[in-house]
Amino acid sequence: MEIWADVAKLIGAGLAIGLGALGPGIGIGILGMGAMNALGRNPEARGAIMTNMILAIAFAEAVAIYALVVAILLIFVA
Amino acid sequence: MTEKSYRGGLLKIVVLAIALFAMIIISFIGSEVGSGIVGSKPISFLNVEAPKYHPAPERPFHNLPITNTMITAWISIVVLGGLFFFGTRNMKLVPTGLQNFLELIVEAAANFIEDPAGEKHGRWFFSVCTTIFLFVVGNAWLSLIPGFETISVNGEPLFRNANTDLNVPAALAVVSFCFVEYWGFKAKGIAYLKTFFHFGPLWQAIKFILAGNIKAGAGGLLNGFVAVFAGLLEILSHLIRMMSFTFRLFGNMTAGMILVMIMLFLIPWVLPTIFYGMEAFFGFVQAMIFGGLTLGFACAAVMEEE
Repeated sequence: MEIWADVAKLIGAGLAIGLGALGPGIGIGILGMGAMNALGRNPEARGAIMTNMILAIAFAEAVAIYALVVAILLIFVA
Repeated sequence: MTEKSYRGGLLKIVVLAIALFAMIIISFIGSEVGSGIVGSKPISFLNVEAPKYHPAPERPFHNLPITNTMITAWISIVVLGGLFFFGTRNMKLVPTGLQNFLELIVEAAANFIEDPAGEKHGRWFFSVCTTIFLFVVGNAWLSLIPGFETISVNGEPLFRNANTDLNVPAALAVVSFCFVEYWGFKAKGIAYLKTFFHFGPLWQAIKFILAGNIKAGAGGLLNGFVAVFAGLLEILSHLIRMMSFTFRLFGNMTAGMILVMIMLFLIPWVLPTIFYGMEAFFGFVQAMIFGGLTLGFACAAVMEEE
């Protein structure tokens, strides 16, 4: 019985981070696309686009980080 | 620049790149995982210990309730305090040296804050947002100093990045939450409660209905319920905000720590340096997000409606 609890933990952690990284990955891709489009239209605004893109990417990435926290908690704490 | 020296410079870069690449390959083959794949014996000095991660901070001194993250938080307070204390002795009109550097930071922060908040509110927000930023970035960058998580006392590491202790981001999030609500009350007085309990439109609609104007009342009733519901959602969002603040910082810093440890374990040479630099960058970005989000929510709290 014990071993099944461990198996469930590992599967759960893998699914948590795997599925949790899916959305942010798509989001960061869209963000990059938007930034590239903006850069193509207006190359002078490079600095402003860069800062805002990095900020927005950090927000999208935060969602993946939540999934990572769940995975860490599952493996090390639960 | 002549043709020959240009070629010499290019040659140097190519040789350096090949040497670094060779170091990566050698260290991968020599490490524990790589030697298992290749089927050779691991080289002793490349055999890094597998990373161990404890979510809770360790206590290096067994009989004292002092965790290693507390020690680093104190160090970062002392470093920041000392920096600003000694930088602001003998202030000169034309700054030099340390004073110049500090003025650069403070001025950049003041511009960043006054841009969305305006001068009056910017002055309220400045101290708290800048302190949060400096504390988080101080913790993050101090933990990049070699010796963190490797110097150990009683078998536990003596120093550990304070942001990887869940309590530190949680404390900062609570401080940020309290100050946002305080500023809201300070700017709008008791009317700030209207953000959360917005019964005005509902009363209006009920009054209309009681006065016999059913048609105007029925439409207003729906709007009234929506306003009440939006107020309740606002309460929820203010509370959930604290949690997302906490886990964003904690998760990012913890993930960075584990990432560097795992890269060191897999490929001990050259490659971890890249992730090390990335950690320095992400420490700065996360600090800016923590301070900037506090600023953004504070601006939303003090903003006049229409």
